[in-house]
Amino acid sequence: MIGTIKKPLEEVLAALAPYRKVALVGCDGCAKVCRTGGVDEVAEMARTLEEHGKEVVFQAAPERTCNVAKSDPVLQPLTDKIEEADALLVLGCGGAVQITRHLTETYGLIKPIKVGCNSVGHLDTLVPGAVALEECSDCGECLLNDTGGICPVTRCAKSLLNGPCGGAEAGKCEVDHTRDCAWILIYERLKALGETDKLKRFLEPKDFSKMAKPRTLYIKEGRVAS
Amino acid sequence: MKLTELFAKGTFVFTGEVGPVKGCCRTNGGPPPDFVREAVAIKDYVHAVNVADNQSALMRLGSLAASVLLKQAGVEPIFQLTCRDRNRIALQSDLMSACTLGIDNVLCLTGDHIRLGDHASAKPVFDVDSVQLLKIARGLNEGRDMMGNPLTQPTDLALGAVVNPGFEPLDLQLIKMEKKVAQGAQFFQTQAVFDPIIFESFIKKAERFGVPVMYGLLIVKSPEMAHYINRNISGITVPTWLVRELESVPPEGRKDKALEITLRLAREMAPMVQGIHFMPLGWSDLIPPVVQELRGKGVPGAGGGAG
Repeated sequence: MIGTIKKPLEEVLAALAPYRKVALVGCDGCAKVCRTGGVDEVAEMARTLEEHGKEVVFQAAPERTCNVAKSDPVLQPLTDKIEEADALLVLGCGGAVQITRHLTETYGLIKPIKVGCNSVGHLDTLVPGAVALEECSDCGECLLNDTGGICPVTRCAKSLLNGPCGGAEAGKCEVDHTRDCAWILIYERLKALGETDKLKRFLEPKDFSKMAKPRTLYIKEGRVAS
Repeated sequence: MKLTELFAKGTFVFTGEVGPVKGCCRTNGGPPPDFVREAVAIKDYVHAVNVADNQSALMRLGSLAASVLLKQAGVEPIFQLTCRDRNRIALQSDLMSACTLGIDNVLCLTGDHIRLGDHASAKPVFDVDSVQLLKIARGLNEGRDMMGNPLTQPTDLALGAVVNPGFEPLDLQLIKMEKKVAQGAQFFQTQAVFDPIIFESFIKKAERFGVPVMYGLLIVKSPEMAHYINRNISGITVPTWLVRELESVPPEGRKDKALEITLRLAREMAPMVQGIHFMPLGWSDLIPPVVQELRGKGVPGAGGGAG
């Protein structure tokens, strides 16, 4: 999932200051999990905006706003309402914002699209409703087969590939003493699996061209281009 | 001179360490900056002096420029190079620049994380790690860049690395040390460690790599500094016994006490290693008496002239 947190209300109101009629688009996928843009949060934002003198022309929360297959069937029938709005406020990740912009353009509408959230990463929900953790950096060449299923690129603050730095103390990372050193986790896991020999293998520098932005995924061909 | 040549001759090698200042060091004919004077003051007692690379991620004068200033002042520098602020292009370029400017020794490091320094919002680079950096540096010494392209002239650098004997689990640190050796590390300086038993168990396991190891000797100046290090400096633990010893004397007696502790640690650890790397934290004047003592006691190889 793409993690999101709410932008401060003042920032949202400042972005919407020039506009009176606002259409609200949430995302009942990731943003629902993060409690930032599901149906409930969209309704809450609608009330807040009305309290601040805005007119909310519609509220919608597609199941996955970043996926046109889910968002187009919701937004296309609302084209007249979108046209009526002075601006759209999207409560979702940056992808949801840009897909919303893309769809409005395909409807022949040029509308300001504003964002009510900050995107904070590709996260995995560890404790539902409470904690999500960044465990994957989408690096394009997954190493998890050799690291006991724990990603050093993401979980090590320095993305070290050949073992820990010297900074860990009591098993904790030098950057954040509340966080486990990824390489000690990898070591313990490989020890439990009887695979510590894997730690001795030298890993070459990563090919960052596989992370070069922006990437395009050609789904039918299973191909990524950047 | 390359430290590897000294080790090859069986010399017991002493090194010190200075940190460049936060500021430009164009002297315009005036006196050299303090860190150069500190290095010059010990040059007859150590074979070389490490020059830290934006230590603790605090933005400073570059370690290459500072290394060149030391070289010009007659002190052999060990150019510290971290992966924190440079991608693989910059690392290779800086290694060639260092050799071009007369640097003979480089210490290849990962680097403290940016979050620990004074520019916490900077973008961390960490394009490669210290093991990969050693391989890259060895390749440049062999006349090719990391993509295999030939160099018009190879570098000629002695490649150093670091290891933390106090790391737990030690086996994991030793695996990394072995990888560093395999990829080109020619000598090691250890992180500061104060317990001879811990150090001995490390050395017994590290001996099999057949690479010279220099004991990292941090000079702790006061109980307050010990507490600061324990709270803020990653990878170093100042033990309670050392803090108590420093507390046992009034502030004016602490330098003598620090010398006594440093001498004791140097005597205990020297027989296990091929050199001592002092981290004097400004008290470089404690290095000469320790070196003189070890040479007087006939530490193997320590009798040779330095400088």
